[in-house]
Amino acid sequence: MSRDQVLGRVRAALKSAEAAPGNLMPAGPPDLPRPQAFADPLTLFAERACAVGATVDLVASMDEAARRSAAWCAARAVRRAVVWNVASLAPVRDRLQADGIEIISPLLVPVRSWVDTVAGADAGITSAEWGIAETGTLVLACGPDQPRLASLLPPAHLVVLRAGRILPDLPALFARADALPSALTLITGPSRSADIGLVPVFGAHGPMAVAILIVTG
Amino acid sequence: MNKPRPAHIDMVANTKLALQDADLQGALNHALVRFRRLRTDAAAEVPEWEALRDLAGEIKAHALARLDVHLTQLESRIAALGGTVHWASDAVEARRIIADLVRTRGVRRVVKSKSMTTEEIHLNRALEAAGVAVVETDLGEYVLQLAGEPPSHIIAPTIHKSVAAVSRLFSEKLGAPPLDDPEDLNRVARKALRTEFLAADMGITGVNFAIAETGTLVVVENEGNARLATTRPRIHVAVMGIEKVLPRLADLGVLLRVLARSATGQRASVYVSMITGPRRTGEADGPEELHLLILDNGRTRLLADPDLRDSLRCVRCGACLNVCPVYERAGGHAYESVYSGPIGSVITPVLEGLPRAGDLPFASTLCGACAEVCPVKIDLPRMLLELRARAVRAGVIGWVDRLFARGWTFAMSGPARLRVVAGLGRLVQRLLVRRGRIERLPYPFAGWTAHRTAPPLAAQAFRDWWRSR
Repeated sequence: MSRDQVLGRVRAALKSAEAAPGNLMPAGPPDLPRPQAFADPLTLFAERACAVGATVDLVASMDEAARRSAAWCAARAVRRAVVWNVASLAPVRDRLQADGIEIISPLLVPVRSWVDTVAGADAGITSAEWGIAETGTLVLACGPDQPRLASLLPPAHLVVLRAGRILPDLPALFARADALPSALTLITGPSRSADIGLVPVFGAHGPMAVAILIVTG
Repeated sequence: MNKPRPAHIDMVANTKLALQDADLQGALNHALVRFRRLRTDAAAEVPEWEALRDLAGEIKAHALARLDVHLTQLESRIAALGGTVHWASDAVEARRIIADLVRTRGVRRVVKSKSMTTEEIHLNRALEAAGVAVVETDLGEYVLQLAGEPPSHIIAPTIHKSVAAVSRLFSEKLGAPPLDDPEDLNRVARKALRTEFLAADMGITGVNFAIAETGTLVVVENEGNARLATTRPRIHVAVMGIEKVLPRLADLGVLLRVLARSATGQRASVYVSMITGPRRTGEADGPEELHLLILDNGRTRLLADPDLRDSLRCVRCGACLNVCPVYERAGGHAYESVYSGPIGSVITPVLEGLPRAGDLPFASTLCGACAEVCPVKIDLPRMLLELRARAVRAGVIGWVDRLFARGWTFAMSGPARLRVVAGLGRLVQRLLVRRGRIERLPYPFAGWTAHRTAPPLAAQAFRDWWRSR
């Protein structure tokens, strides 16, 4: 069997026998000292997310986030939006519905037609589990109410992030992540490519615009 | 792409051709100057950069030292999550496993995201032979697939192609109007590829890192095509070399921080997909089936080699290509291997054998720039020297080099010999020196003076001058 052949070659190469159980994991990597700027993760996050082409707005409450979302949708002429079915986004969902925007929710669409339905949306609206200050990165966890395609297929992505969930860097994230979802996605700015003539272009395959609302209250 | 592979890679002849291609020289210079600046700036921004490189290298070295343990742990975690793990000892087996999956699942259309490992095993040809439509979805790889060319850089596969060339290609193959704005060309490709994504049954990707303790596959990209390929089709097949495994999730925090900065000078790549098992109950999207193919294909030879094992630390960032003076002139195609530049010159001779790739370790000035930038601190110049020694022992270098090396060894092994040889040289060079330079050496040494003149031996030897001082 190829498995035994490959592992046999690996073991022969390492001259190691079957590993002793209990000796599987070495100690974790040491914590390196962090730069001073990481002491203010909110400011750093905002600066670095803007640097990669996202837009960042600070809002005091979820109600204000709902108002800003409605204004963002109006400016982009959004008629259909796919919105994560999470409790924190309820004010946003209600407000958009009141404005006459069709809300696509994973609960209401049969799995068969899910992809085509999302592909027809004008915007995807999600929350983010965490933010990473060093890189301006959003961390999205998928789940039954948090479909992956919402942040991928529509041309624009609006994300609501709580200020208290901004971590200094990736090592801080991985120290906290325990039970991983089937897909944890790190997003740093809009989709981009520089494969044609080395000219950076937004919207290679994913969203051309990423708007971040940071709720400070 | 379907050219028969020659028995021996003639790096010198390939480089001569590349040097005559003014477009290629311009494109390479333009791209590499830019990549070098971006990387330098991105590294300078991190005060603990050197410590981070040390740590990244140590993590990979540790992962390799217990590779069997980490691979079997990865396998059992993925199985527990409902995924399937396949093992392939070489490219033939890897292609057969994927062809079997395609046949048994009735797959008609495959979307691929950029993966050097699938290039290495020549997967596309095998799938096309099995009657499956295969589409490369990375914008650069898509362009190359339309053009029928192999990639020429690890992370910037179209580095050798101009905007005008892409525009001509899209007109010819996709019926697009002539466009000179990369943004418009991107839109043409986005539209064509979106249709492919929505129709595909299977997505095939590479793997940047696989986390043993969690069974997580990590795919890093900027465009979103890897996300689409791992989300939309009902089957996801990930292909990875044995060296991609990391023991712990915490290790990923270190390696992701050095990877993007070293590769493109970005603080982070746009998308990092961390995939832990197939779609779970109640989820609306994500693949129903997840397959991981773990590939050896010569890597265990590197692992067993104490001088070269550390080359398996490589995270395929491409930084060593960007700083290499030989790569900058020769371009990726001259290496005739999936892996070009300094890292390619180290691993290709082992993966494909010295008889075929024995030239490559000589395609280096040993300036050491590659080792300076490597984010996992691979000592590439030392490995290149070691492989040169092996190439000589294996007799794959030409008789001119051999003759020259013999003569050199003879002359340098005693002061009397050196005096005699240098004296002879001063006599012979009288026939060759014009205006104080040697302008042309005769066959078989003509190559030395083909593009430059050589300084003559001084009339008085240094030691004679020293004594008479």
